[in-house]
Amino acid sequence: MTAVAAMASERKRGAGGNTDAFLGVLLITPIVLVMAALVFFPLIDTVWDSLHRINPMQPGTPFIGLANYANMLTDGDVNASWINTLIYVVIAVTVETVAGVTGAALINQVKIGRQWVLAAVILPWALPGVVNATIWLWIYQPGAGLLNGILTAFGLPFENHVWFNDRTSAIIAVVTVHIWRMLPLTIVIVLAAMQSIPGELYEAARIDGASRTSMFGSITLPLIRSAIAMTNGTVAAFNFFDEAWVLAGPSLDTRPILIQIYLEAFQNLHFSYGMALSLVVTIVSLLVSLVYVVRVYRNTRLD
Amino acid sequence: MRGLFLTSVAFAALALAVPALADDAKPLAGKSITVLLPSPQGATIAADFEKDTGIHVDLQTLSWDDIRPKLVTALLAGTAPADVTEFDWSWTGQFNAAGWYLPLQDVIDKDTVADIGVAKIFTVDGNLLGIPYTNDFRVMLVNKKQFADAGITKMPTTLDELIADAKQIKAKGIVQYPIGLPLSPTEGASTSWYLLTKAEGGDLFDKDWKPLFTTPDSAGYKAMALELQMLKDGLVDPASTGLKDSQINDTMFAKGLTSIMISGEPGRLGQFADPKQSSVAGQVEAIVVPTASGVTRSYGLPEALGIPKVSQNQEAAIAFVKWFTTKQFQEANYANGVLPTRTSALADLAASGKLLSGDALVAQAKTVEPLFAQGTPTWYPQFSSAVNTAINAVAKGQITVDVAMKNIADASQKAMSQ
Repeated sequence: MTAVAAMASERKRGAGGNTDAFLGVLLITPIVLVMAALVFFPLIDTVWDSLHRINPMQPGTPFIGLANYANMLTDGDVNASWINTLIYVVIAVTVETVAGVTGAALINQVKIGRQWVLAAVILPWALPGVVNATIWLWIYQPGAGLLNGILTAFGLPFENHVWFNDRTSAIIAVVTVHIWRMLPLTIVIVLAAMQSIPGELYEAARIDGASRTSMFGSITLPLIRSAIAMTNGTVAAFNFFDEAWVLAGPSLDTRPILIQIYLEAFQNLHFSYGMALSLVVTIVSLLVSLVYVVRVYRNTRLD
Repeated sequence: MRGLFLTSVAFAALALAVPALADDAKPLAGKSITVLLPSPQGATIAADFEKDTGIHVDLQTLSWDDIRPKLVTALLAGTAPADVTEFDWSWTGQFNAAGWYLPLQDVIDKDTVADIGVAKIFTVDGNLLGIPYTNDFRVMLVNKKQFADAGITKMPTTLDELIADAKQIKAKGIVQYPIGLPLSPTEGASTSWYLLTKAEGGDLFDKDWKPLFTTPDSAGYKAMALELQMLKDGLVDPASTGLKDSQINDTMFAKGLTSIMISGEPGRLGQFADPKQSSVAGQVEAIVVPTASGVTRSYGLPEALGIPKVSQNQEAAIAFVKWFTTKQFQEANYANGVLPTRTSALADLAASGKLLSGDALVAQAKTVEPLFAQGTPTWYPQFSSAVNTAINAVAKGQITVDVAMKNIADASQKAMSQ
């Protein structure tokens, strides 16, 4: 009797398991199809096309192997754009992380009207990149710009100073606008992570005599690591385009790799070269992001 | 009763005949086309064309810079961005090589083509790829009041006189930076250098596409050195390294902050004469381009209408191109700031006194040459990009004129080899 009941139970589990599996497949099918059509197929197609010469000004699309990838290595403009992009990534990720955590910690201390502070903080992120860049373009204006006006009011010699005539100041000016836009996102997500930390942990630490600094280092920081990884601006910094284009156009001093790709594809009509460059950008940004994500995953997993 | 019947039949026949007659006059009535042009355009273009031909037009306008990416992406995908599109002189080489546009020499009458002298800029291998509708060439625009305030009565005809006048205007404190010259990495910086190269008496390439600007005694080299000198002498605003030509027009010349637009657009004269758009209305006039020798030169940057081969409404599109480039329409469209491409329309406007700075424009129009004698090359965008990047770097003091010229020559050779 017991054996019969056990077999019946097994059959039920088997049937239920199949139903669950079928339902699971059914539920993920739409997203798999969408991803296949809009992401995987175009990606594979782009990889294949990047191995051909696709230039509407030349007949045919002959297979050229890795020639597009080899050409990148000796292309001076591409190399200059890569250097600019890497500088942007380092500055943007560092400042966004440090300032984002600091800003979130400060806002976390605000007890009254926090929602208003948050609403004000999120505004730059809510605005399109082009709008932000245009506002900053006015701020950086040599003649009537706000920045020169403030510096001049303090007696500093910045009347009619042209910020984009020097590469270092141009890069800082451009990346500042990007940080200005992306920082609010970091603050909001890190703040949410901070607020989810149980208060008991801090109480226990206080009883043990921990200082605020050690509580931040031993409790807050480890528990917001995953949020920091999620907000990590590496991909956004690699995809930097709007602000650099509006503020300095295609100037080689500030040209990020995405503008170089745009120029190759849509100005010079070297489409497969543009595709090859896009793929390299994708791979590099994913690899760099992966380092953070894997590190954070290892540091935050519960087992 | 019979009379009533016959009368009814007669009216019915008439009612049917009238649309039929109308259809004969408007054979494409009822068709619909899309047209993509740079903004701004006259507000009544679509309605006027529909009234004349019965063809409905969906007129889309975009900023000039945004049109090319839209065209390229659509055409590469094998779809028509519109049935009639903007076609700039600088795209001729690339778009011809890509085979995207319908040759028009067999559908536009020869008299029209003969009347539009700059049509040859759009002709490659015997194929006429666009019919020019806006006659953009370069003149110099000056603020004659500021010249007069500085005690200058005779307009410059040589580059030396031009520089001397600019220095006098600055010395008298009329304006801080008398010369408007774009030095940003944009097309406007390139076109200004091309004009100064012509003004110095030279050209960019020889018949074998060998660069003619690499030696210090060449016109292109002197033109770049002149730009740098004007900047160093304080005649050009250092902020020009970040300004496009349109910004120098709109934010500086139109506000009286500069006295001379080196690379002046004739079509802007209407804007500068309009008190609503300009603080210098009544003060601006065009002069023929001063040169090193005193004999003026210029080159054409006209814009045309083209029809993509993949357009599904080519007949109606051709009708629009013909209508848009008629003498009557061109004369009327001058009120919208579009300078006619037909020599006859230009002459009519000048004779009637409607053409602002008519004498200078007609005199300059006679000297207009193509920038590239062999036709615009497929690698023009790379060349132009190398030119304005080099100008920008020279103006910022990052490289010398010598290095700039070498960079441009290297970039053009590389572009040619691709």
